[in-house]
Amino acid sequence: MTRPNRLRLILRDLGTGAAFASMAVSGQLPIWALGLFVVALGVALTGRRPFARLPKLTAMLLVPLAGALYLAVASGRMDLVVAACSFAGLVAGQRLLSETSTATDGQVLLAGLLMVAGGAALSGELFFAVCLMAFAVLASLSLGLAVVEAAVPVGEPVPVRAVMRPLAVGTLFALLGAVAFFILFPRLNWNVGARRASPGLGTATSGFSDTVRLGGSGTLKSNPRVVLRATLTPDPLTEQLGAYWLGRTYDTFDGQEWSTIGAPKKRGRTRVTLRRGAETQVYQKVELLPAYGSRTLIALETPSKLGNALAHTPTGTRRTLLQELGGDELRFVEEGLGYSYEVYSVPPGTDTDPGKMEQLEHDQLLALPDNLDPRVTELARQVLGDEKDPLTAANKLSSWLQREYEYTLELGGDVTDPLTEFLFVRKAGHCEHFATALTLLLRSQGFQARLATGFFGGERIGDEYILRAGDAHAWTHVLVPGRGFVTVDATPPAFRANQSLELLESLVSIYEAIESAWRTSVVDYSFRDQMNFVRDLTRPPAGSGEKKRLDLPPLRAWVTAVLVGVAVYQAWRYLSRRKPRTRALEATRFVDAVERQLATVGVRAGDGETLEDVSARLTREAHPLAPTVSPLTRRYLEARFGQRALEPGESAQLLKGLKQAIAALPPKEKPREKAQA
Amino acid sequence: MNSPARAVSPLPSPTTARATLERVAANLSLAVQGKEKEVRLAVTCVAAGGHLLLEDVPGVGKTTLVEAIARSFALSFSRVQFTADLMPADILGAQVFHAQSATFNFRPGPIFRQLVLADELNRAPPRTQSALLEAMAQGQVSLDGATHVLPRPFTVVATQNPVDFSGTYPLPDSQLDRFLMRLSLGHPSPEVEARLLTTRDASSPIEAIQSVTSPEELADLRMQVAAQRLDDTVAEYVVRLAQATRAHGDIERGASTRAVLALGMAARAHALWEARDFVTPGDVRAVLGPCLAHRLLLRSANQGAYTRDEATHLLEEVSRKVPAPR
Repeated sequence: MTRPNRLRLILRDLGTGAAFASMAVSGQLPIWALGLFVVALGVALTGRRPFARLPKLTAMLLVPLAGALYLAVASGRMDLVVAACSFAGLVAGQRLLSETSTATDGQVLLAGLLMVAGGAALSGELFFAVCLMAFAVLASLSLGLAVVEAAVPVGEPVPVRAVMRPLAVGTLFALLGAVAFFILFPRLNWNVGARRASPGLGTATSGFSDTVRLGGSGTLKSNPRVVLRATLTPDPLTEQLGAYWLGRTYDTFDGQEWSTIGAPKKRGRTRVTLRRGAETQVYQKVELLPAYGSRTLIALETPSKLGNALAHTPTGTRRTLLQELGGDELRFVEEGLGYSYEVYSVPPGTDTDPGKMEQLEHDQLLALPDNLDPRVTELARQVLGDEKDPLTAANKLSSWLQREYEYTLELGGDVTDPLTEFLFVRKAGHCEHFATALTLLLRSQGFQARLATGFFGGERIGDEYILRAGDAHAWTHVLVPGRGFVTVDATPPAFRANQSLELLESLVSIYEAIESAWRTSVVDYSFRDQMNFVRDLTRPPAGSGEKKRLDLPPLRAWVTAVLVGVAVYQAWRYLSRRKPRTRALEATRFVDAVERQLATVGVRAGDGETLEDVSARLTREAHPLAPTVSPLTRRYLEARFGQRALEPGESAQLLKGLKQAIAALPPKEKPREKAQA
Repeated sequence: MNSPARAVSPLPSPTTARATLERVAANLSLAVQGKEKEVRLAVTCVAAGGHLLLEDVPGVGKTTLVEAIARSFALSFSRVQFTADLMPADILGAQVFHAQSATFNFRPGPIFRQLVLADELNRAPPRTQSALLEAMAQGQVSLDGATHVLPRPFTVVATQNPVDFSGTYPLPDSQLDRFLMRLSLGHPSPEVEARLLTTRDASSPIEAIQSVTSPEELADLRMQVAAQRLDDTVAEYVVRLAQATRAHGDIERGASTRAVLALGMAARAHALWEARDFVTPGDVRAVLGPCLAHRLLLRSANQGAYTRDEATHLLEEVSRKVPAPR
């Protein structure tokens, strides 16, 4: 295979790989599809096409795979879109390994286009955009090379070097054009795809489910993805907030799982509208990011009012209803990529009114699993003695647990009685183990307690606090008469918050910032944004209404117009300069080099003079360089206008001769050089 | 053994063509001294197959140059002095009644020569001028329903006095357009004039001119000119120059399409002086003035020599402004 062919195929294969990656970044493709395509791509990139000899048989293999995918979809084990995307990847892989021909090229790129469309259905995030652009660039270059290759007669070398630069420039302009099209073309914001876009790095948290299975999770502590941003009033002004952010609570433990009995009376409550007030409370403006992956509202303990909720969806931002569920959970009714809302919280430990609870709920705060190991009760009694005060008892137990037990993220597997396993066998666990142990130890001694889940911590970034997925946490609420539920955390303090590496945190922060910009500027860029953009250009900013209305557009409109004009002019100049150079480029470069050399000794072309004129002038003036320049000019003219191209290395040889002639010039010619310099 | 007959003679190489041109030019310089540049352009015009307009005051060697060209190429030659009473038949020929055979026979006029000198063309009435110019364009003469082909190679050289316009019929622009080049010889330099005084004997300088080539070689030369390669970018350059004349503020009417073709053909011929088989922008610029200056209609109402100089000056300006392909 010749070199240009190889380059074109590599570009084509890499482009297809980028198209597949646009689907793979959603994290929803099955691992086997991923593996098969990666292997196919790897083999194709080495230049081998093992399916070339058996095109029909290998294509037939796709039929049973399609059947298997259909069965997976029909049985509900696989999403239809994911199945279609997987199959597109397999088709692309089969084509990559087949014989190379014009038809195959078209099919490979068509499969790439389909995969990009699949990627758009699975994810619309930043990584998808990167893959999309990579596919567009690589496929365009490959197609361009294919056109050039087709135009070159058989046996002739394809001028790859000569065409790659204009091709690259053309592709760049096409991309810029696409960006301009994106910004300026009126967009229609209806949700064509049924699926939601997913966060680029996958869902960060496991979400707030109705149950918490002890030992069911525990790897979140090292996940540095930002899930929440909040501004607090009054601002605590601390680098590390060290506060508990409550999501929901659980009151029933069956030995393995935590759940909540019943549901509150008010279901499907309409939106809560908040008004400013309650100066003693902590006001929070919260934004839940797509990485959060749940619809449960988060607030500093103890939330008293939540509302003014907005859901950020692919079709825009709008107000959404809230729903009250069991375990004091407040949930968004509408599914969104992210949410923002406002909260008022009572300062910790000052909530004197925990709300009116039914007897059933009171009873449940003391409920123990049926098969509770008697050693648990005994252990609690040994630690507490005859302690009667619930808060003191909770603190005593908490200190004891922190002292006697180790924190670990290694899970013990799916054991029958995780609490017994934690307390008496492994004596190591994560926050859920500690919180569960404390809650049940308290209950065994008649103190009312429940499990709370949410986040712990808060890291200051600028004017706001952020929470990472690794800040997810579980702790205990002890019901103290006269003070309501009081937080007691049995987890050792060093392990409560996020435990990811700092480097990883900073990298993820950079990604989050880019992704946020991408979402704001691209994904959520709507027709209204376009209108605002145009209006901002032509109208004075809001707040300047008191000023006398000007007939002329504001300064920034002029500046923008000038910038756009300059950009268009520069682009035009660049293109018009390139146009004549597309032919006989080497000869033109050669004549440029000759003129540069001549300029070093003060021989410069006048107004409208060509090298031909300069050479004739030197001959007329009997200049010492004339004998050298004359044949050199002749050779340039032959190469440029006479279809006798310069041989490889010939221009360098000629230039070398000219340099030698310049070096050998008599001294009287030299001062010109200095004078020019 | 049968060998295929050579239908056409092979084209001369550019080197051979240049040798021929230089031989002719050197020969002409024996008759017209100190006018190397004009002589080269005149030979270029003849080699390109175009007709030449010599515009100058009397006594500077116009007729001598034309006769020398005819002798150098060994062309059949005729000279027609254009006057106010000259009729078309005086140039083209006429049907003459032959009493013995009681038939009309065609008697060819002086135009039936390979090189025709139309002296002071602007003194003839328009009808006569048109007859000549039509013959120049068609290469044939139609008379009383019969067509008579002019000999090949065929060239007309016309002269006119740019100063004395009294009693003349200035050539219309469309007819000027049919001349490939317009040249002015101008007075020779004082040194040349002095040399003429001291060296010239009683014999006419034209008698010293011998044939140095043949009409067949001239025909081959013209084929070589037509076969010269004109790169697309050079062709675009020619067109851009013509467009620049059309867009120029001081020019009422710019170069016509025929002018563009003439410029290309003249540039092709000029390339032979460098023994090249391709045209460069330099070739185009070398013939730009002689090819286009007489075809432009300037906004200024001046006539004669002043107009000629102004047109040449404008063309130089245009050639400086229009960038040549690199």
